[in-house]
Amino acid sequence: MSDVLIRTEGLRKEFGALVAVDDVSVSIERGTLHSIIGPNGAGKTTFFNLVSGTIKPTAGRVYLDGDDVTNIPVHRTIHHGIGRSFQITNLFPSLTVLENVRLAAQATGSDGFRWWRSHARFTDYVSRAEEVLTQVGLVERAFDIASNLPHGDQRKLELAMILAPDPEVLMLDEPTAGMAAEQVPELIALIRDVQTSGDKTVVLVEHNMGVVMNTSDRITVMAQGAVLAEGTPDEISANEEVKVAYLGSLYEDLG
Amino acid sequence: MSLVDLATTRKPWIVRHRLLLLGVLAAVLFPFVIAIVVDGAPISAVWENADGNAKFLQGLAIEVVVLALYAMSYDLVLGVSGLLSFGHAMFFAVGAYSLGILLKSAGLGLVPSLLIVMGIAVLVALLFAVVLPRVKGIGFALVTLGLASVTGIIISSSEFKDYTGADVGLQGVPSPDWLNPTDQRFRFYLVSMGVLVLVYLLYQRLVDSPTGKVLVAVRDNEDRALMLGYSTFWYKTFALIVASMTAALAGSLHTLYQPIVTPEVAGLGFTVAALLMILIGGVGTVSGAIVGAAVFRLTEFYLDRWFEGLSNLLIGAGYILLVLFLPYGIVGTWRTRSNRIGEGRSRLARLLSGSKGE
Repeated sequence: MSDVLIRTEGLRKEFGALVAVDDVSVSIERGTLHSIIGPNGAGKTTFFNLVSGTIKPTAGRVYLDGDDVTNIPVHRTIHHGIGRSFQITNLFPSLTVLENVRLAAQATGSDGFRWWRSHARFTDYVSRAEEVLTQVGLVERAFDIASNLPHGDQRKLELAMILAPDPEVLMLDEPTAGMAAEQVPELIALIRDVQTSGDKTVVLVEHNMGVVMNTSDRITVMAQGAVLAEGTPDEISANEEVKVAYLGSLYEDLG
Repeated sequence: MSLVDLATTRKPWIVRHRLLLLGVLAAVLFPFVIAIVVDGAPISAVWENADGNAKFLQGLAIEVVVLALYAMSYDLVLGVSGLLSFGHAMFFAVGAYSLGILLKSAGLGLVPSLLIVMGIAVLVALLFAVVLPRVKGIGFALVTLGLASVTGIIISSSEFKDYTGADVGLQGVPSPDWLNPTDQRFRFYLVSMGVLVLVYLLYQRLVDSPTGKVLVAVRDNEDRALMLGYSTFWYKTFALIVASMTAALAGSLHTLYQPIVTPEVAGLGFTVAALLMILIGGVGTVSGAIVGAAVFRLTEFYLDRWFEGLSNLLIGAGYILLVLFLPYGIVGTWRTRSNRIGEGRSRLARLLSGSKGE
């Protein structure tokens, strides 16, 4: 029985004359790791921005668990259980690692305007931050300034910030971007662990084919703003159209 | 020890606020010491408000308190929340003029007047907040500058001369007998010090609270704060309201203390003064605003007295040296303990040789 958590319906986004996402209807099942792949410019990140509410679609709807979340403001996304990471590391650079995660934990609570009490009195958020930092293996660096972390650790911190409010859906936009090759398996194992142990739904944009084929439950292939194919990793690797989309552009480049 | 304990355990209140407590003690003793040592008068001269250095220096200290409250409110907006406002003087001017008009033209008592002033301050902050979602960064700076300029024009306009005194200034505001700035100088001094301490403690608490932490997050990376789930607009509006009320309170004290209030308090120069004070003290440090206000007012006053025409030149040179040697301000540098003189010297050398390398 399929249990669809995220469903998009005819999603379309135009930037002027450019159609970045064209009539994309995708269903993502609860508790799966669903990858979105495709050549550069396929509209993967735009699709991500549309689902996570960062930008609004020209046409089409986004449903989360049956609710229409197409036009909710971006700061409400997390309150609907969608946590999202960015392709380019997006942290609070001058704050400590702990404060980055603590802020993420505090965001879903209702204490934001308790201005007459010290933040140190709200220990729940700090202990949640500690929990998540332990999970991603950054607890030793809790008091370091985020911008001083090596790139790999910043990616882990980014993940910790999404995990802190315990969202149902994790949308990860190239979580391994710019990481040293030997660090990639560690982060992927971590994502897989988070997904299975917490029964989360993970939507992943990734360029590393090895990662995608080995970890995904389902894969959606996008090309030129539209869905080209969808299926299990085995189905996708056997799909002729996908090979052409990826390799075809390569042939053209080679002339 | 767990991370939670490390992050949330604090030293006792009295230890954390030892400098403040020492400052309060010094402020109370200060007029007596001056009266005895400099004036050679009996200590009763202080509460009898006899003329002399003690009375005069208390007056200078009251001016510092007014500026400190004002600079602190700007630090909340710019230093903590990262909102570049060039119209901050408007908050002060509206407070100063509203209180003056309420006391003088409307003939209201001090307490109801102050309550109304606070209400007006909230409205002014909301006016700034309306602009917030529409323009960011330098655009916000320019729109707020415009708002403050309009205020300045209204204040100086001869249309409202009966209320504002136009470009001559607002004079003859009646102050209550119990808080007369001349006859009750010592009491005025203590009241203004008390107000400063209260506001400072409130600001300390605010900046350390969950709200203050979100404001710092907004300064650091507003888009990320939004994505985390914070409705950043309401946090920024909150900061503007608190700052506007504080600046209006400073303006009110100014009106009560000064025999004349001029339209200059709505000008860009007065916003820049706030900027200078928090630069001297340390941007985003709150306590730096008090240090900055003291340094600002005292150097201005004494350099003017000793060097007259040269004073502005000396002040300008002083600011350049400050930025080179103490880029985080006095309090900021003290906190980071990174005041290496050598660094300042090499920055100065680079500046003079015209090289850009860092």
